Amino acid sequence: MVSKPVVSKPAVTESAPASTRQGADGQAGQPKRKPRTRAWPRPTRGYRVFQVINAIILTLVVIAVLFPFLNVLAQSFSAERFIDAGQITLWPRGFNLTTYGHVLSDPLFWNNYRNTVFYTVVATAVAMTVTTCYAYVLSKKYLRGRKLLIGIALFTMFFNGGIIPNYVLVSYLHMRDTVWAIALPNAINVFNLLVMKSFFENMPAELEEAAAVDGMDTYRILWRIVLPLSKAVIATMTLFYAVAFWNSWFAAFLYMDNQGLFTVTVYLRNIIDSVTSVSNIQQSAGTQVQIAANIQAVAVVLVAVPILFIYPFIQRYFVSGVMLGAVKG
Amino acid sequence: MHQPSRRQFLAGAGAGAAALALAACSNPPSTPSVSSKNQVGAMKTYDVGTQFKATEPLTFSIAMLSNPAYPYNANWPFFKYLKQMTNVSFNPTVIPYADYATKTATMINAGQAPMIIPKTYPGGEDEFVAGGAILPVSDYVDLMPNFQQKVAEWNLQSNLDTLRQSDGKFYLLPSLLQSVWQDYTLGVRTDILDKLGIPTPTTWTGVQSMMLAMKKEYPDKYPLSDRWNQPTPGGNFLNILSAAYGTAAGWGYQDPGNGAYWDASSGSFVFAGSMPQYKAMVTFANEMYNQGLIDPESFTQADAIALQKLTSGKSFVISENAQYVVTDQQALAAIPGATIAKLPLPQGPLGKKLAENASNRISSGGGVMVSSKALNSPNFTALMQFLDWLYYSDAGQMFAKWGVQGVTYTGSVADGTFKLEPDVDWGGLNPAGKKLLDVDYGFFNGVFVTYTGSTQLLDTQFPPAELAFQKTMSSWATSPLPPPAPLTTEQNQQVTLTGTTLMDTVQSQTLQFILGKRPLSQWDSYVSELETQGASKLVSTYNQAYSTYKTKYA
Repeated sequence: MVSKPVVSKPAVTESAPASTRQGADGQAGQPKRKPRTRAWPRPTRGYRVFQVINAIILTLVVIAVLFPFLNVLAQSFSAERFIDAGQITLWPRGFNLTTYGHVLSDPLFWNNYRNTVFYTVVATAVAMTVTTCYAYVLSKKYLRGRKLLIGIALFTMFFNGGIIPNYVLVSYLHMRDTVWAIALPNAINVFNLLVMKSFFENMPAELEEAAAVDGMDTYRILWRIVLPLSKAVIATMTLFYAVAFWNSWFAAFLYMDNQGLFTVTVYLRNIIDSVTSVSNIQQSAGTQVQIAANIQAVAVVLVAVPILFIYPFIQRYFVSGVMLGAVKG
Repeated sequence: MHQPSRRQFLAGAGAGAAALALAACSNPPSTPSVSSKNQVGAMKTYDVGTQFKATEPLTFSIAMLSNPAYPYNANWPFFKYLKQMTNVSFNPTVIPYADYATKTATMINAGQAPMIIPKTYPGGEDEFVAGGAILPVSDYVDLMPNFQQKVAEWNLQSNLDTLRQSDGKFYLLPSLLQSVWQDYTLGVRTDILDKLGIPTPTTWTGVQSMMLAMKKEYPDKYPLSDRWNQPTPGGNFLNILSAAYGTAAGWGYQDPGNGAYWDASSGSFVFAGSMPQYKAMVTFANEMYNQGLIDPESFTQADAIALQKLTSGKSFVISENAQYVVTDQQALAAIPGATIAKLPLPQGPLGKKLAENASNRISSGGGVMVSSKALNSPNFTALMQFLDWLYYSDAGQMFAKWGVQGVTYTGSVADGTFKLEPDVDWGGLNPAGKKLLDVDYGFFNGVFVTYTGSTQLLDTQFPPAELAFQKTMSSWATSPLPPPAPLTTEQNQQVTLTGTTLMDTVQSQTLQFILGKRPLSQWDSYVSELETQGASKLVSTYNQAYSTYKTKYA
């Protein structure tokens, strides 16, 4: 965030948006074309050096984060001979859609993609409901047995039954081959729970007291007062849960006995494994080599891109959450 | 979200196995008895040559591996015909290819295993034996006349013995091959051979001089740039080279286990990685490397890179098998006139000897485990008869492999008139065919058919070039079969620990020696490193297990 004004600095003197920016800086009465002079206090030399170095470092960080994404994107559209020769950097070479065609033309892929969306929505909804309720209760210091309840949650952070007992449990509850096998065992992530709990704890008690005085019961206080004020943490937790459910493959793989119920991550994992380890794909050799070369990149793009689109929508809650704290601080 | 790591999984699996082991201890296995309660649906008279048909409709649960090359389809004609012929249908648990072993292991350890668990390779059943969840099938082979007949006729009894556990029983119904099948060897660009006027080499020194001639013509290229380095570096190359020298490396290193090599001349197990033969092999490979014949990346690069080098003309020699040589030939289309073919397995100091161990006759294809729970089923006898028919009878193998006469194929294997129907293709045998035998019909499915059966049946799936190769190989000798040396659970744990360390050392140092990063003058210190890591102890554990087994069951 810090780097933004610095990077746009050269443009400040000439462009119109720059002057509005200055206007916002408390110089509203000044004529529009009066840049530079008193925009802000003349920075010291040391501060300028700091800004430049800051900009360079942050730009490098941005490149380091973005480059793998762009590289994978480029690979997913490139021809096999350029990929194997390691000649792909940021732009596709030998534009090629064979692997996309192979994956996207399979009805099972679309079926499994629907499953992923469905499981993610259901599981996230369940997880958010349960986690919010649990966290809210735990945030009340006067709750009897609060320490025990926290202890129970924490215990599962460090110990768990292991795969086989879990499998037996899920089987005996007849949850295999249902969405509940994915949603319920992972409904509470203890880390998320604790973050939410401390968020609720930091909320002024007076708000709730005032609502109680006005006659609201606990549930309405939670629904009408606390939750609307907790958009930032809810957005964050929803994102955490949604991304985790979206990316997960193990639960679907373990508890689903029918490929019509698998998630797209299981589907792609299966394809990746088969094309890179066995050569019995019924394709011409060229197609097969092409698929083997960039199936991983294609899989990353197909799975990661949709969930990426959630970020812009949730981003504003992060920002407002941060600002809220700053103003009141 | 909880994503269990492999370690957690192992811990869980171990705990489950231990719990089951305790449960099993309290209830010692009684003498096998198939009572009249187990006879529902079974045929009264079932023998070799009988078409199995259950006397009433039966459903068996099965672990159904779904291969992405031919994804499982509940509407495959395979199931329809199977129902018609045998009155049996399946209740499948569909499991993706990539994690088949993980899921079956979990289901078995959780006591929820399907009755039939196919696609298990010898050794894969070991971890479940102590838990008692898997049926000791050796107690029930009297229900399987076809199985018994094949074992007797093809002389496979000693092969079966290698499957026996420390209780003297075996828990896996393996695939049975009539003769050893040597598939893997080196492939070479035959057009280059023709161009340079080099005869097809038959020995390793011949391969060396062939590559020297190539190097002379193309000094800037490495003739050999190999693939199949994951998880074992130089998997195939070191396997076939070491077999020619009478030792084990690459893929063969783990046969029978953890680097213990059966030395028939001394009648005991020795440690492969410190054998003089191993040194001779490494020395030879190092010599070829020093001559610039082997790409320095040969034993570490990814398969795709190796293939890329081959198809762009940067290398001429690569590890091959019957399937790959077909796709490689197609991938070579970019180079006009380029042809590739399998070399006859190069001979080493031991002469005409196959790299594939004789145990290949029961290990190359996956076997079938049966859940112990099946024994309580009223249909148990019918289940064993069904498995016997489908996996071991000539008619069952033919059905699973090529389908139904008049629908997917014509003629018969016995008189050599076998042919796929014109519109059906498998593996490029019938390129004009629009329908794929596996994808569209569900035949030739790895769950029900593998490289198994009579040589005549196996040969039907090969193109002429492969048949010629097999003909050359058929007269060659095989390595002597290691005797059974079943380890106890404790021995197994111990040996796995030291064996893994030793394997890492042997693999890394083998490459160091070959690639000249460690001079061969340090061989003796390498051997003493192995000793420090417990090579002798490992070998003596195997020898001890062998003598225990011998005295107990001989």
